[in-house]
Amino acid sequence: MKILIPVKRVIDYNVKVRVKSDNSGVDLANVKMSMNPFDEIALEEGIRIKEAGNATEVIAVSIGVKQAQETLRTALAMGADRAILIEAADSVDNDIEPLAVAKILTKIIKEEEPQLILCGKQAIDNDMNATGQMISALTGWSQATFASKIELKDETALVTREVDGGLQTIEVTLPTIISVDLRLNEPRYASLPNIMKAKRKPLEVRLPEELDVSVETRLKLITTKAPPERSAGIKVDSVEELVKKLKENMGAL
Amino acid sequence: MNHQTEIVTNEYNLQNCLKLCREAIPIIDTILFEVKNSLKSLCDEQGGVNNASIEKEQFLTHGFAWLATYVEGLNQLLSWAENLENNDKFSLTEKLILQIGFGEYLAQIKGGIQMSQSEVIRLDQFNLSKESIMMLDRVPIITLISMGNSDLARKKLVNCLIKNVGLPTHCQSGLNDEHEAIRDLFYRFSKEKILPNAHDWHLNNELIPTQIIEELSELGVFGLTIPEAFGGLGMTKTAMCVVSEELSRGYIGVGSLATRSEIAAELILRAGTKKQKNLWLKKIATAECLPAAVFTEPNVGSDLGSIRTRANLEGGNYYISGSKTWITHASRADMMTLLARTDPDKKGHTGLSMFLVSKTRGTETNPFPNAGLKGSEIEVLGYRGMKEYELSFDNYKVGQNDLLGQKTGQGFKQLMETFETARIQTAARAVGVAQRALDLALKYATDREQFGTPLITFPRIYGKLANMAVEVVISRQLTYFSSHEKDSDRRCDLQAGIAKMLSARVAWAAADSSLQIHGGNGFALEYEISRILCDARILNIFEGASEIQAQVIARRLLERSHN
Repeated sequence: MKILIPVKRVIDYNVKVRVKSDNSGVDLANVKMSMNPFDEIALEEGIRIKEAGNATEVIAVSIGVKQAQETLRTALAMGADRAILIEAADSVDNDIEPLAVAKILTKIIKEEEPQLILCGKQAIDNDMNATGQMISALTGWSQATFASKIELKDETALVTREVDGGLQTIEVTLPTIISVDLRLNEPRYASLPNIMKAKRKPLEVRLPEELDVSVETRLKLITTKAPPERSAGIKVDSVEELVKKLKENMGAL
Repeated sequence: MNHQTEIVTNEYNLQNCLKLCREAIPIIDTILFEVKNSLKSLCDEQGGVNNASIEKEQFLTHGFAWLATYVEGLNQLLSWAENLENNDKFSLTEKLILQIGFGEYLAQIKGGIQMSQSEVIRLDQFNLSKESIMMLDRVPIITLISMGNSDLARKKLVNCLIKNVGLPTHCQSGLNDEHEAIRDLFYRFSKEKILPNAHDWHLNNELIPTQIIEELSELGVFGLTIPEAFGGLGMTKTAMCVVSEELSRGYIGVGSLATRSEIAAELILRAGTKKQKNLWLKKIATAECLPAAVFTEPNVGSDLGSIRTRANLEGGNYYISGSKTWITHASRADMMTLLARTDPDKKGHTGLSMFLVSKTRGTETNPFPNAGLKGSEIEVLGYRGMKEYELSFDNYKVGQNDLLGQKTGQGFKQLMETFETARIQTAARAVGVAQRALDLALKYATDREQFGTPLITFPRIYGKLANMAVEVVISRQLTYFSSHEKDSDRRCDLQAGIAKMLSARVAWAAADSSLQIHGGNGFALEYEISRILCDARILNIFEGASEIQAQVIARRLLERSHN
């Protein structure tokens, strides 16, 4: 069984995000970029499934700028067998929309015929939470979102999902698309030996035109604003005063 | 060379900074050359170096070494900047580092360089012509000094650094993607596995847990530069620098775990027999064998030629007797690279031989289980985690096969050949410690408020931070330059010495400034910076004390001029 894992190159989670002065987006110049943490979790799960003998190949796919090759090298160093980059953007500021990403991935899925797609539930840059679901619609495959536990059987997968009321377990038929949540696993460190090995693993670069998919934007970005800064609190001298303030100012109690 | 360069600034930003720096370089190169000429009398007629005169004029010769270090530092800072500019990565942060670095170091070249807290070397102490000294009044130099390192530039730089917190080095390192991927890995490892524990290990004077050693071994740290044929990864010394830097940023003890493995492996690779290579290298690469470096003696530090520990050959075995001291990680080591005298009739270096001596790994209750070997711990201020020991050998038996390369009398020469790598690695450790001091200072100065405003808004606070950041970059670039030379198979003892000497001073200065920013809290054991200060202090002492380093640099440069 092949597993396909889409990985996105996003602004690193440690970076203090800055909005550009003209409000046209987030400033990505000279900023550290890394693999989307949820995708890292998906990749870790895929590698574990292969290590347990339940998969033959793990393929990492990224769609974006040329520099996403670095992200794919990291994926290869963690344990993916090969990687595909669809070079769909020439600037980091050009974010490919979920529908275009899902269409490209659907084409790749037709070529590669994996039995399982593992993807992060969302990318931490735009928080769309859409690609996995869209692939399901485009391929007609089953889907299980927000997985916190995955158990593979012969023809199906048992997936535990984190839902509002607690945990829900569903069984989906393979081939399937599973989007993963934070608590599924803890991704490994890519070791030095594996960084060296990754250099020799295949990384194929393709263009969206070859797949006959348009990456033109359909959404219009109107403005990007930083969240308002938190204003300072007040100090109170007694419990009575606290209760009074809560009643008067905050509308609480 | 009297350039009339138009000076444009928009308050902090020196518009044609790269050009000014390019113009400044030939001037300071010439000054260095003139200083070297003024020291010619210290060389003999054949052009060789007269050691006695160099020692007698130590203040001048060492001053010359420091001047050379500053000139090389600025050369490397400029090539870092040019390389970034060619790759479209030269942002405002790097630009400000360049102009402040040139402004400050040129001012020190002109006005006096601090060799230590209490010793300043000034250009007028050398016998230079008036014309030479006046070269430092030319436009590019004066402009960079007066406008490069301005208060506004320092303020702006610190703003940039804070915005760049997501970037592990706060600015571009200039290394390629593969090296940066390695940095990411160890930056994360340090943050998650080392930093949360290092301060407790230090305060409790604990050995670094074997669990950490095992994890580092799995990541490939101990066999990093050992060739693949011997079970290592065959990676570059530059990769080793990045790993050492990021691990030392977490804790110098962890960044130093592989130092002895690196020295032992290099000794064996260069001088060992085929059998010795097969026996040891794979074990070193996996940390199954942790080596200790057993060279120093109670009365022998930098002057290795006077080593007294004896190795007597009797009935096909050697018997080691004598005292050794400052042996790092000795109890837990499985093997000792040991320097001893095999020929008592030959004084000096020629009677010394190197041995690869097996020993049993000690435990807490029985630190030195082998017969004929005793050891006691030397308690130290910092650089803990592996512990320091004094060892005494009493007819400790060593097989004849354990003589490195099966050759006697080669020990000193064999050891000398590993100095380049050891110094490069030490420079990288110093850069890591300095970076951590800066990390802590940036954080504290941002969080701590006095007089209703964060400390970082005060000029003498952000000024310190800016200077720390600039010096970290200069020493980092010197370190990468020396590792690059080593990776290109060129002799680099000079570059490695320069990188080690400056990085060690920078680390100490950064630790001291960072503690100063922490105020009274920094003096409390509870705060991490108190440990960084203790750890930073060793860097000027071990792997060639600052004074010895200056001596070696001066001798090499004076030699070179006559080759």
